[in-house]
Amino acid sequence: MSLQIRNLGKRYGETAVFSQVTLSVAPGEFVAIVGESGVGKSTLLNCMAGLDSWDEGSVSLNGADLGTMGDDQRALLRRRHVGFVFQAFHVLPHLDVAQNVALPLLLLNQPDDARVEALLQAVGLEGLGKRLPQQLSGGQLQRVAIARALVHRPGLLLADEPTGNLDPTTAAKVMDALIAQTREHGAALVLVTHSSAAAARADRVLHLSSTGISA
Amino acid sequence: MRALLQTFSWQELRHHPWRSVAAVVAVMLGVALAFSVHLINNSALSEFSQAVRAVNGQPDLELRAVQGSFDEALYARVANHPQVAMASPVLEISTYALEENGDKAQRQLLRIIGVDALAVASVAPGLMPLPGKDADRMALFAPGMVFLNPAARRVFTSDRLQLQDGLQLRSVAVAGSVNAGGGPLAVMDIAGAQDLFGRGGQLSRIDVRLRAGADTRGFIDTLRLPAGITASAPGDAAERVSNLSRAYRVNLTVLALVALFTGAFLVFSVLSLSVAKRAQQFALLGVLGLTGRERLQLVLIESLALGGVGSLAGLLLGSGLAALALRLLGGDLGGGYFSGVAPTLQWSTGAALAYGTLGVAAAGVGGWWPARAAQKLPPAQTLKGLGLAPGAGTGRWLSLLLIAAGVGLALLPPLFGIALAAYISVALLLVGGITALPWLISLLYDRLSPWVAHRLLPLLAVERARRVRESAAVAVSGVVASLSLAVALTVMVASFRGSVTSWLDVVLPADLYVRSTLSASASDAAYFSPTFVQALSGVPGVLRVSSLRTTPLLFDAGQPAVMLISRPIGNPAKDLPLVGNALPVPAGQVGIYVSEAMVDLYGARPGSVFLPLSQAFSAFAKASTTQPATDLIANQPFYVAGVWRDYARQFGAITLDQRDFERLSGDTRVNDLALWLDGQAPDAEVQQAIRRLADQQSGGGALLEMASSRQIRSMSLKIFDRSFAVTYWLQGVAIAIGLFGVAASFSAQVLARRKEFGLLAHLGLTRRQILTVVAGEGAAWTVIGAFAGLALGLAVSTVLVFVVNPQSFHWTMDLQVPWVRLGLLCASVVLAGTLTAWLAGRAAAGRDAVLAVKEDW
Repeated sequence: MSLQIRNLGKRYGETAVFSQVTLSVAPGEFVAIVGESGVGKSTLLNCMAGLDSWDEGSVSLNGADLGTMGDDQRALLRRRHVGFVFQAFHVLPHLDVAQNVALPLLLLNQPDDARVEALLQAVGLEGLGKRLPQQLSGGQLQRVAIARALVHRPGLLLADEPTGNLDPTTAAKVMDALIAQTREHGAALVLVTHSSAAAARADRVLHLSSTGISA
Repeated sequence: MRALLQTFSWQELRHHPWRSVAAVVAVMLGVALAFSVHLINNSALSEFSQAVRAVNGQPDLELRAVQGSFDEALYARVANHPQVAMASPVLEISTYALEENGDKAQRQLLRIIGVDALAVASVAPGLMPLPGKDADRMALFAPGMVFLNPAARRVFTSDRLQLQDGLQLRSVAVAGSVNAGGGPLAVMDIAGAQDLFGRGGQLSRIDVRLRAGADTRGFIDTLRLPAGITASAPGDAAERVSNLSRAYRVNLTVLALVALFTGAFLVFSVLSLSVAKRAQQFALLGVLGLTGRERLQLVLIESLALGGVGSLAGLLLGSGLAALALRLLGGDLGGGYFSGVAPTLQWSTGAALAYGTLGVAAAGVGGWWPARAAQKLPPAQTLKGLGLAPGAGTGRWLSLLLIAAGVGLALLPPLFGIALAAYISVALLLVGGITALPWLISLLYDRLSPWVAHRLLPLLAVERARRVRESAAVAVSGVVASLSLAVALTVMVASFRGSVTSWLDVVLPADLYVRSTLSASASDAAYFSPTFVQALSGVPGVLRVSSLRTTPLLFDAGQPAVMLISRPIGNPAKDLPLVGNALPVPAGQVGIYVSEAMVDLYGARPGSVFLPLSQAFSAFAKASTTQPATDLIANQPFYVAGVWRDYARQFGAITLDQRDFERLSGDTRVNDLALWLDGQAPDAEVQQAIRRLADQQSGGGALLEMASSRQIRSMSLKIFDRSFAVTYWLQGVAIAIGLFGVAASFSAQVLARRKEFGLLAHLGLTRRQILTVVAGEGAAWTVIGAFAGLALGLAVSTVLVFVVNPQSFHWTMDLQVPWVRLGLLCASVVLAGTLTAWLAGRAAAGRDAVLAVKEDW
């Protein structure tokens, strides 16, 4: 899946967050976005998913302009084509691990227990499907989130500081799993991070600032 | 702690004032209702007792007939007894009165008290006649002169009255007044009263004042009172008034406390959600050094503060409501026990303290569980947003224990004539059932879970209800509490109504009923003569006439009178609403059929001989105008051949065959007539012909009370429905409070789950789908709440129908479950709960999803 962003600008009232952001991500490409805190990296990521609005410019996924779509159309597009990984994991505490991973498949009305089990195995959580989130460590929870992000074979994976809450060793393992699985699925990966180690593994690294984005 | 209350707790209150206001209002309403019912009843009882004391005076002893009146020869014996300082003879007659030339149909019940003016002044000064300005001072002793008390003066303003005797009217003049309070009464000279009502030589009672140092028991023994006359202390009369209304008063109070019960649940609901919402703040305080015990104290103080404010407001509102009700309704709250009484408010500091404490305690109980939750929460886990691990389920044994104790208590007999154990049983069943909810939820949803494993929206709803079952239980506990009470009241009222309807079918077999009086107390003064009854058979359109005589009997001075009903009994199973089978009557004995109250209050069990009635018949024989053979009634055994259901007389009734009654008492007077019509002539024409006949015989055609069985049935059911209207209001209020609990719960849950909804939005759930999840959870939770409420309500209704009613009112009823109505009630609660959850979800779901996931868990 390809992502095209042209001259994107975002303001909160009179305060500009970013402006003139133009970038494209090719299918299967891994792009890292870095920048100082508060420049709008996460906001840009949310704009890419159609979760946040923007004041100027356009965002297209596979040629479809998100700006012309309603909330429900964007939700349907995300459901089918986009996967998310967050810094704080965001797993549902009342669902077990397998149920959390299966969420996107159930949303698409395509339950597939074998696929869920395969993903859990791929991220190193084999046999932990029946556990509740309270019974897992932070690293394990982030792997659940990665499995969930990829289980429905999305074309685009958006990851917001996925290793921000993890120690360096666990962070490296999680990044290994994230990159390996993304590559295996042929998905494009956009990673927002402060970690130079994580950014170093990307195909391209872009610097976001209030005046735009640059390589 | 004080600093924490001022900052931490006060901030919570400031941010969610309406939630706290709702809890305060619920406690306030409960305390106000219970306190006002107490004040009204106590004021009425106090006023009524004062009136009784005014009429009965302050004698040391009262000598009374078990039935009606007794021979005045006893008076001479008593008055001349060396231990007696003063004896005051009294003849009491309840009858109807109307102003001269007034409309006969507008007659009013009036109590006539014949006294000896020279004796009454020292024993019962309230009954001392006070001649009017223009009246002769000797009017005190003149026949045909009456002295009205203030209540009677309000009804009758004319100087001349007509008093009913049989179907005739006797004229009297109003010569002055008496000070006695209470309902309308007229005092006249005792000899004049005897003459006017044909009761020559008869007395109702003798008030006795003994000489100083006299031994009451010894005095009674030396008197050797004839059979049928009892001696009692005057306090028994006040006790009788209290007994008469006690069960009704207790039931009203319990009904009012139901509001306090739901108030406690609202406090529980509000504080549980407040603790759930502040879980991370409590955890942070825990990390900073606040101990679990201090967290518990903090939440408990919050609940007690809510209860304190609610109780204080409740006491103020209750006092206002009581004052208003006393002004608008008098002292009668619908039971009819205190009608005609206009009491003043008797405010009681002790009662205010008791009810205020009850309100605070209810709030404290409601706050206990949330306080325990705050005490037990693990700070580290909670700070991570991972919450508590599922409970071990040990609480279910406590719930089962409470339910078992509830069942056990329901089997205990009444205490002091009150179904106290049964009321506690109801409370334990409710608390046990509600605390068992988390267990019930996991039991049901554990089985349901595999069925929805592959369907996202039901999966999310079921898994949350299953895994966060304590929250689910909190959310639905209000619904369960209110619905169970609504179901219990609905089933009880339906059972009662159905049983009353069946009872009316049996007791109203004829087409038309003619009564001489609507009040049983006036049955000796307002009656039909045998010639009138005989002549009725000849009225065109009348096929058959059956007659009935009612006579009050006072077996126990501390209990209200029992009604003796004489009527033709051919086939008891068909003629009477029997409970069980009729027994064959042994030869030489007279069969009687007693109401259920007689079994409870006097031990008149089927198959036994009921001795007190034999004594009553001795009095009959002495008082009767036609003297039967004394030998015939001496030691006449009355055999209890059956028990029948009587919804008209709560304190007992005895039915015996008319031939036996007339043979033994010589009393051939009749109070009620049942007429079977041939259907040829319209009812109205038959009624006119009957009135014409009465006019021809005595001029009392207008004094007849006539109604068709259809009219009586419809009127009875209308009165029934009006009496129970308050329960429908109470059900509505209870369900509204329960739904408010659901709304408060879902609002807080939805706010607390904004991140969860944010995640679902990231994954591609539309806002509508998120709302569907919330509504689905609302449905899932309220469905189980409805099932639990229905089951619990049916259990409580069983206790109300089979224990509380028989123990309180001495009548049984058949359990009748209106399934369709209950189904609609449950469905509407589920619908309302789902809608409430959906509305609560709308406020938060789908908005700020992006911001929500950025917040730390």
